[in-house]
Amino acid sequence: MTKLFTTTALLAALAVPAFAVQPAEGDKLAENQTYTYWLLDAIKSLDPAKNTDVEGSDVLRSLFEGLMNEDAKGAMIPGVAESFDESDDKLTYTFHLRDAKWSNGDPVTAGDFVYAWQRVVNPETASEYAWFIELMNIVNASEIVKGEKAPEELGVKAVDDKTLEVTLTTPTPYFVKTLSHATTYPVPQSLIEAEGDNWTQPGKLVGNGAFTLESHNLGVDLTMTKNPEYWDADNVLMETVKAVTVNDNNVALTRYQAGELDRVQIPAGQYPRLKEEFPDQAVSLPYACSYAYIYNVSDKGPEALKDVKVREALSLAINRQIIVENVLQGGQRPATTWTHWAIEGFEQPETELATLSQEEMNEKAKSLLAEAGYGPDNPLNLSLQYNTDENHKKLAIAVQQFWKPFGVNVTLNNVEWKVHTDRLQNQDFDVARYAWCGDYNEASTFLDWFRTDGYNSGKWSNEEYDKLMADSKTAEDTGPLYKRAEEILAEEVPAAFVYHYAKVDMISPKIKGLPTENVLNTWYAKDIYRVAD
Amino acid sequence: MFAYIMRRLAVAIPTLLLLIVFSFVLMHLAPGGPFTQERALPPQVIANLNAKYGLDEPLWRQIINYIWGIVAHFDFGPSFVYPDRTVNQLIAAGFPVTLTYGTLSFIAAVVVGVALGVVAAIWHNSFLDYLAVGISIGAQVLPNFVMAPILVLVFTLWYRLLPGGGWSFSNPDFWIMPVIALGTSYMASIARITRSSMLEVLGSNHIRTARAKGMPEHRVILRHALKPAMLPVISYLGPVFVSMITGSVVIDVYFSTGGIGKAFVDSALNRDYAVMMGVTILVGALTILFNLVVDILYAWIDPKIRY
Repeated sequence: MTKLFTTTALLAALAVPAFAVQPAEGDKLAENQTYTYWLLDAIKSLDPAKNTDVEGSDVLRSLFEGLMNEDAKGAMIPGVAESFDESDDKLTYTFHLRDAKWSNGDPVTAGDFVYAWQRVVNPETASEYAWFIELMNIVNASEIVKGEKAPEELGVKAVDDKTLEVTLTTPTPYFVKTLSHATTYPVPQSLIEAEGDNWTQPGKLVGNGAFTLESHNLGVDLTMTKNPEYWDADNVLMETVKAVTVNDNNVALTRYQAGELDRVQIPAGQYPRLKEEFPDQAVSLPYACSYAYIYNVSDKGPEALKDVKVREALSLAINRQIIVENVLQGGQRPATTWTHWAIEGFEQPETELATLSQEEMNEKAKSLLAEAGYGPDNPLNLSLQYNTDENHKKLAIAVQQFWKPFGVNVTLNNVEWKVHTDRLQNQDFDVARYAWCGDYNEASTFLDWFRTDGYNSGKWSNEEYDKLMADSKTAEDTGPLYKRAEEILAEEVPAAFVYHYAKVDMISPKIKGLPTENVLNTWYAKDIYRVAD
Repeated sequence: MFAYIMRRLAVAIPTLLLLIVFSFVLMHLAPGGPFTQERALPPQVIANLNAKYGLDEPLWRQIINYIWGIVAHFDFGPSFVYPDRTVNQLIAAGFPVTLTYGTLSFIAAVVVGVALGVVAAIWHNSFLDYLAVGISIGAQVLPNFVMAPILVLVFTLWYRLLPGGGWSFSNPDFWIMPVIALGTSYMASIARITRSSMLEVLGSNHIRTARAKGMPEHRVILRHALKPAMLPVISYLGPVFVSMITGSVVIDVYFSTGGIGKAFVDSALNRDYAVMMGVTILVGALTILFNLVVDILYAWIDPKIRY
């Protein structure tokens, strides 16, 4: 066992109060410590095992607390775990829990984590996020999900009330980074056993987070108030957090301007105007999602796309600058790689997308297509599929125009979301729009997608790539492996990467403490406060 | 009359059953399922989910189980997309909201619409007529998805009079904009139907007779003209009332009322089979019920109609 991690973790723990919750110098706190933020849609579930979306996670992060939290930059800091030890073979982690309490006053024990994690993988729970525990590479997770082993055989054990031991099947460099994810939060066993699916209702829900659930009107609003039982309650300034659903982004912006909301997303195309008008409120922050056009290179895909020259030419011919500057206009960046540029420790390789000018790329695209036997005289016909959305449509039309001069005739194929997804997963498309958001702040969250056994809707496959990704799981320094993997993607072009997302929001200048450098946009209501006028 | 009502209610049962079977089959024919998502789920997880929700059974069995659940336990099943809630809970939360703003909006639309129509017909081709027709055409061409954001802009941002959305049963401030936005175009239709029907009745023989025997004009209008003129309006109002109280996706989206109108559309897009079935049955049953109510009103208004 090495104690190295313990010391760093402890240091971080000491640093938490100073960093997070003391108002910056000169800030005068408002009497009314309330934060109201916008939700596009209803929160689907408040059960950590059943939540599947980002908005749900934002709420769960206030109602519950996992072993680890993230700081304003996305670095891991202690949550319920005060410290942990990692074995020399990197297969066993031992977490030492602090004296934390549930909102009903009961102590949070290692057994609560064991129960929660077993529950996620238990086939009876039918959790849509069971794969997350598999992703963490915990012993027997996959077998339990498949129903081959009992949930009790999961590689997680309560040594005593304050000590949790987790065993992995393989060294997992990102393991600790998964521990702030809502799927890994502890849940109250006795309550769930007594109430069944109703345990998440207001008045019933018991959590171990900095806030408790006050009310939840599905599709209208959700209110949380400060939890006095929270171990660090003395350092929580915010009293009330309210999430308000507004299904229309433009109406939400109006309501923000009327002072009903403290944070709202900026509708597409309005960032430049709002930035000029409200420079202290309109922000664009890097956000770990990438947008791409996936080529179907499977047997069911078109013959032309099996030729790497065609794939490369199509990618080169997309003018990404126009897309981000004239279509999206929200501080997004042209994508030269699949991994988002702001992911921690990721170094972008010098690919031709990054180095050539658009004129040079167009020239190259033309000659590549000619070599492949296509051109204005012998046009290539492809369909481009996207799901119903104004922005996807604008981009698809732009791409159709970019490809046209090269003799590529694109039929736009707009389908509803479920149909789009269904066809993607059944390789029933030529080229399809796709976006992927990182689960944790490390390049493999993107790169694993293109593994032969990854999600990989286009069914591209490359032996060297698979090996690199397999090796990266145990490597001391993953940087060069990820860089090489991106180089392969640039050479083989299984997809045309288009742009890297930005989170484009209006934030009230009175709200302080929201993270601006966390590429996953993980925020904690316990860290924010409102200043007086 | 009683026998007629019983007969109609008896026919309603097979109608609803047909509705259930058709919707059920159509829904399962649509590509994708409730658990189809961008991040493809491992086959085993899909299998676990299907087993949990009974989607692994053959379709005919699912239909029978579903109908049995309703008949035996009044249980419309669990939501696939909101795993913490059942369809009964979702409808119980959303329907009272749309019922409230829908009923208020209906009353407002009928009162204003009929009044405009009657005024326009009585003072036919006068300034009042043009004004009433102008208002109703204006209201008709302004769709609610344009009107809703404008209302929010004016009453919330400019004048700060009303909350920009949300819902509360105890605070009528939240009801005002949904009621206006939902009712306006219905009001316009009601005004137009009332006007043309009223004009027709005012030109008929029994009105001339009534006037000829020296009956005061207000009695002619209220007693002899309005009642028969309401027949086409009432046949229009039956289905309109149902569609108003079961909500409008536009109102729910723009005012975030949490009503059932949006839940209906979302459930179809999400392939949330049980929620969609539940709302379909609700709308179907209400439609059958109010068509019957309209027919009964017919008989009450027009003595010539007998069942």
